[in-house]
Amino acid sequence: MDFDDTPDEAAYRARVRATLEEHDAELLHVRPGESADARLREAELRTTQRVLAEAGLVGVTWPREYGGQGGTLVQQAIVVQELARARVPTLINHIGLGMCGPTVIAHGSDDQRARYLTRLLRADDVWCQLFSEPASGSDLAALRTSAVRDGEDWVVNGQKVWTTLAHVADFGILLTRTDPAKPKHAGLTMFVVDMHAPGVTVRPLRQMTGGADFNEVFFDDVRIPDAERLGEPGEGWRVALTTLMNERVAIGGAGSDIGQSAEALAAHARDRLPALGADQQALARQAVGRALVAALASRYTGYRRFTALSKGGVPGPEASAGKLGGTAAARLVSDAGVRLLGDEAVLGATADGDETWQRAQAHVPGIAIAGGTDQVLRNILGERVLGLPPEPRTDKTAPFAR
Amino acid sequence: MDFDLSDDQRDAAAGARAFFTGSVSTAAARAALEGTGAPAPGRKALADIGFLGITVPESAGGAGGSVLDLAVVAEQAGAVLAAPSLVTAARAAVLLESAPDLAAQLADGSTALAVLDGPVTGSAPSIDAADATLFLGLDGGTLVAGEGEVVPGRPLDATRGLASVRLTSRRVLAEDAGELWARARAVGAVALAAEDLGAADRAVQLGVAYAKEREAFGRLIGSYQAVKHMLVDAWVGVEQLRSLVWWAAWAADASPAELPLAAAAAKAYAAEAFERAAETLVQVHGGIGFTWEHDAHLYWRRAKVDRLLLGDAGEHHDAVARLALAGALG
Repeated sequence: MDFDDTPDEAAYRARVRATLEEHDAELLHVRPGESADARLREAELRTTQRVLAEAGLVGVTWPREYGGQGGTLVQQAIVVQELARARVPTLINHIGLGMCGPTVIAHGSDDQRARYLTRLLRADDVWCQLFSEPASGSDLAALRTSAVRDGEDWVVNGQKVWTTLAHVADFGILLTRTDPAKPKHAGLTMFVVDMHAPGVTVRPLRQMTGGADFNEVFFDDVRIPDAERLGEPGEGWRVALTTLMNERVAIGGAGSDIGQSAEALAAHARDRLPALGADQQALARQAVGRALVAALASRYTGYRRFTALSKGGVPGPEASAGKLGGTAAARLVSDAGVRLLGDEAVLGATADGDETWQRAQAHVPGIAIAGGTDQVLRNILGERVLGLPPEPRTDKTAPFAR
Repeated sequence: MDFDLSDDQRDAAAGARAFFTGSVSTAAARAALEGTGAPAPGRKALADIGFLGITVPESAGGAGGSVLDLAVVAEQAGAVLAAPSLVTAARAAVLLESAPDLAAQLADGSTALAVLDGPVTGSAPSIDAADATLFLGLDGGTLVAGEGEVVPGRPLDATRGLASVRLTSRRVLAEDAGELWARARAVGAVALAAEDLGAADRAVQLGVAYAKEREAFGRLIGSYQAVKHMLVDAWVGVEQLRSLVWWAAWAADASPAELPLAAAAAKAYAAEAFERAAETLVQVHGGIGFTWEHDAHLYWRRAKVDRLLLGDAGEHHDAVARLALAGALG
């Protein structure tokens, strides 16, 4: 047992750190725990990713033939840690890098790979993932957006929702229904869609936090050439599983925090605890201690996954426990952070205008939904890790359009 | 980073699992509760296989191992509710660092030791004190050993050997022993969290197994999300507890400055994760889980007792917060 880097990891980390220092002036920076709004800072975010890509820090695990570095998941995790340390915000193309790109690599044509992947790595094109719909969230395979073959094209009609980055995206991977007579999982087909094509309308959705990071996207007779299909017609579910497997790698966490960190809470408590009355201090300390324990439990469990990856393991369904535990910790951390505000806890911001903890509190419900709700994750863990039987499902075999 | 057990530790865990499952059954815990038998495997068997001396130096007849070596064994002991506790062995080994003669008697099992919590003139119920003949306690700031008058009280969990003790003789082992005492208590808390890890893990396994065989409303109860999600939450708690136990046990030897924070985190989490696992075990079984003859309440009893020993979750949450405010997170 050893929490230090191996010599190889240490050398790689030093190289990454030196590269980030060298390019520091060209990179966008944020305060700890903050993200950058793509709506307001799109140009800087694109530039930041391009600089990092040219320095070899983007697409770490992608094969070299597609512009990646051919590196390991551990190297990828080291880059993520070092970017956080340097206070560089999440890369603008994180959806493309984590999900869309790997799907194009696995299922795209040579022509698609040549046209898209290098530009994706450099954020010359930003990508989004068009899966969820108003009537199909957790039950993704119930989606209704239709694609109908017409000559060399497909004609798409329908609506997607909760689409992160659609407002700045150039391309998306789009899951559609092409054969409603088949059972729900069997009639789906995946495409690459040009987000600037006629008939694509993007509208921002304002979240309960007040921000607008995601969107609804409408498709009205949008024509997609057959050459932009990913995988065979009817194989869309299998293609989508590739995407979702990669999402698990992206958000399973390997010792990184979801939401505000334990250190941020401790610093906040140092700042605000003395201002509370004695009884309130005792209660707030309980909340802080409980939150820190949960955050540490989640962090050290992430270190175990990181270790498994570094020994050549592949993230399995147990990675879902990382998001579940991380979400629970984020809930406790944000709650303790708000409680420390005392009387100001009931306001949207403190007297000096800081809304860090109120915003963290309002983000938690979204964390517990995005990328697999807490309930879907519990089903995955219960069925695929603990081996408990699934609920009976009659919708798996019946034709979708019944 | 390599945050995993070594091959040797995995082998040791497998060996310990074989020993404990071969020498202890929950029938022993039930018999002890009914006053018709002694807790198993007992001090002599634990000494003979070397488990009481894992962290005792080789020069004093121990194995000279690490607290992590002890924790992987303690996990297996916890899974079968074994007694006496490795908490006593872990804690006494720290306290007896400068008393090799007594450390040797701890390791070879020739003396039945217990460590007293609270004043030596009338201690709090302390682990393994009921059958002990020599007691270690903190008298003011002085570490003392002595004989005592033992008042067991009616056990809630008979495998813990809890008793209050009034020392009737005192021999000074060390002056100004406050820091030593605190470190020993932290190491004891790690061992307790490790035993709780094993017990909680076993409780989840028993609950999952039942959910895979019991039918209601025409299907297996484990297929219902209400049951499934309860078991998953308990399992996630066990896995997160495992991470904290490993970290705290590692810190005890490799990074002593981290021990107070890590031990408090592990003990606080253990208290609640084991309690949830045990309550889930009862609930998943329904009526049968509430009966005396089912094993569920034996785990439940251990959980209800352990959560309060060596400081409850509230005390340790407070400690974690105070340490973090003082800069323990770096």
